[in-house]
Amino acid sequence: MNKVNDRSRDIGEFISQYDDNMIICRCEEITKGEIRKAVHDGMFTITEIRRYLRAGMGLCQGQTCSKLVKAIVAGELNISPARLESVMSRAPMRPIEMKILGNEGGR
Amino acid sequence: MKRYDVIVVGSGPAGLSAAIEAAEKGLKVVVFDENSKPGGQLFKQIHKFFGSKEHRAKMRGFKIGEELLREAEKASVEVVLNAIVVGLFLDKEITVNINEEIVHYKGDAIIIATGASENMVAFDGWTLPGVIGAGAAQTMMNLHSVKPGNKVLMLGSGNVGVVVSYQLLQSGCQVAAIVDAASKIGGYGVHAAKVARCGVPFYLSHTIIKAEGDEYVTGVTIGEVDSRFQVIPGTEKYFDVDTICVAVGLSPMSQLLKMAGCDMEENPKKGGFVPLCDEYGETSISGIFAAGDVSGIEEASSAMIEGRISGAAAAYKLGFIDKEELEIKIEKLEKALSSLRQGMFGPGNKGKDIFRTEEGYDISINLLKKGYLTDEEVMKYPGVKFIKGIHPVIECSQNIPCNPCQDVCPQKCIKIGEKITSLPVVDEDSTCIGCGLCVASCSGQSIFLVNEDYEEEYTSVTLPYEFLPLPEKGTRGIALDRSGHRICETEVVEVKSPSAFDHTNLLTIKVPKEMGMKARFFKQQGVGI
Repeated sequence: MNKVNDRSRDIGEFISQYDDNMIICRCEEITKGEIRKAVHDGMFTITEIRRYLRAGMGLCQGQTCSKLVKAIVAGELNISPARLESVMSRAPMRPIEMKILGNEGGR
Repeated sequence: MKRYDVIVVGSGPAGLSAAIEAAEKGLKVVVFDENSKPGGQLFKQIHKFFGSKEHRAKMRGFKIGEELLREAEKASVEVVLNAIVVGLFLDKEITVNINEEIVHYKGDAIIIATGASENMVAFDGWTLPGVIGAGAAQTMMNLHSVKPGNKVLMLGSGNVGVVVSYQLLQSGCQVAAIVDAASKIGGYGVHAAKVARCGVPFYLSHTIIKAEGDEYVTGVTIGEVDSRFQVIPGTEKYFDVDTICVAVGLSPMSQLLKMAGCDMEENPKKGGFVPLCDEYGETSISGIFAAGDVSGIEEASSAMIEGRISGAAAAYKLGFIDKEELEIKIEKLEKALSSLRQGMFGPGNKGKDIFRTEEGYDISINLLKKGYLTDEEVMKYPGVKFIKGIHPVIECSQNIPCNPCQDVCPQKCIKIGEKITSLPVVDEDSTCIGCGLCVASCSGQSIFLVNEDYEEEYTSVTLPYEFLPLPEKGTRGIALDRSGHRICETEVVEVKSPSAFDHTNLLTIKVPKEMGMKARFFKQQGVGI
């Protein structure tokens, strides 16, 4: 386990901030406060944050907020954002309708 | 499943260049792009590019795009638009969403040239309508002829921020201010000077505190930041704007490469998450290449060369050219690429504070903080000389890779030399004929023709002018200095716009003698600019 993922590490209490109501993920309407709280709930990786809150899982697939979310999580863990692993990248890369995804060569 | 020798993803400068290079060697090449028009960001670039002849310097971006499309067609490159590549898999197979269908393709080589996406910054009110990316502003103005707003505040003083600010002015918007949290202007000094002389103020070490408005942007409050980027209370400033434009950098769109399993790294110097590539742009997976911004944020000119390199490398890999031909090709391209990467804005100098030019001239602190050279500072540079009669005054004070002024002068008045980042030197012994080619060819619009002997009491100043309506001979207006301040009344005595100037009109204004080295912009009465 790398140091970043060490859940036994004490990251302190959640203390609310004046801009916790600010929306960070526009597509899924996730606020800064929700992301900060999620870290204190034990979500130390971006993948976990995505599954827990759906931040970065909407229409733009995190194109806009990925770096913002990363900076907030890193700030809460008191580490450099570069140390947080990027999320998995898997097909389909862009949002797509199920009927199109299922339509492979007319089959 | 359809097969090609080379599949290119993205039809921007890197992708098209890669496709052309490979197709010219006889490979069967297809390019997929998710947009309805090819060219990536090139068709939004209405300004003239830097570099030298081999980099297509002094050509406007969209014209380079048109040229690339012609070359691609000639080389029989197949360009498929509205085609979204949704997956890149083992064995170089891709899935593409075309016309409500998922189509599988396989390539012997795959070149990923997906470019980059814009970064955002969160501040109070950043989700309000009216907060837009600089790229969106360019799309609206330069592709769809729509003004993004009336009064705009630009966040970000890098090249994108200053170039788009200038384009906003050209489209008839007012630019209230350019704001950056950094303590110095990030873009080329010449780009900053173009907007400063139009009267746009720079606020360095400032950030946006709040976008005002309930339904949409009605104003913005900014504040000064300390060395830890915290707002200093009491430094708040309010601007009445309807649009906030954000130009705070780009991130590589490298998801397809990660999906395929290429070795990746988080590299802040390259703008984010990028593939590890060899000198040909080949990733850790044999036959998968990355070219352009997706492999590290730079600019369009270097993206085109990277594309060429990957295209040639793919041709070699598939046996269409031999090792010798590849090496000759690559050596030439590497040389062109390395000359673009020289100078104080080169990737190797990213984040460094540079106080002197390569020649030992002081870098103007005023230029870095306010966007213009002072009257005293400008006199120090080798492009500024007092010569009898008409002569060029070159206010170029930073080492950037650019030399069209040297190439176009028929009298050989301007010398840069072999190293294209050197400051241009005006040769006092040569005779300027006042043709104006240097003024029109300067992508940074930093060359002026000055004639102190124009009339007994008047000096003439010839300046580049890219605004509408175009003044006529006899049009009266106000001369502005480098900081955009009004200095005197003036009159246009000549307007030149031959096709060789490519829409950079040359206005000659006459000003009182003492204003000859101050007047650098012409403001028409009753016109916003």
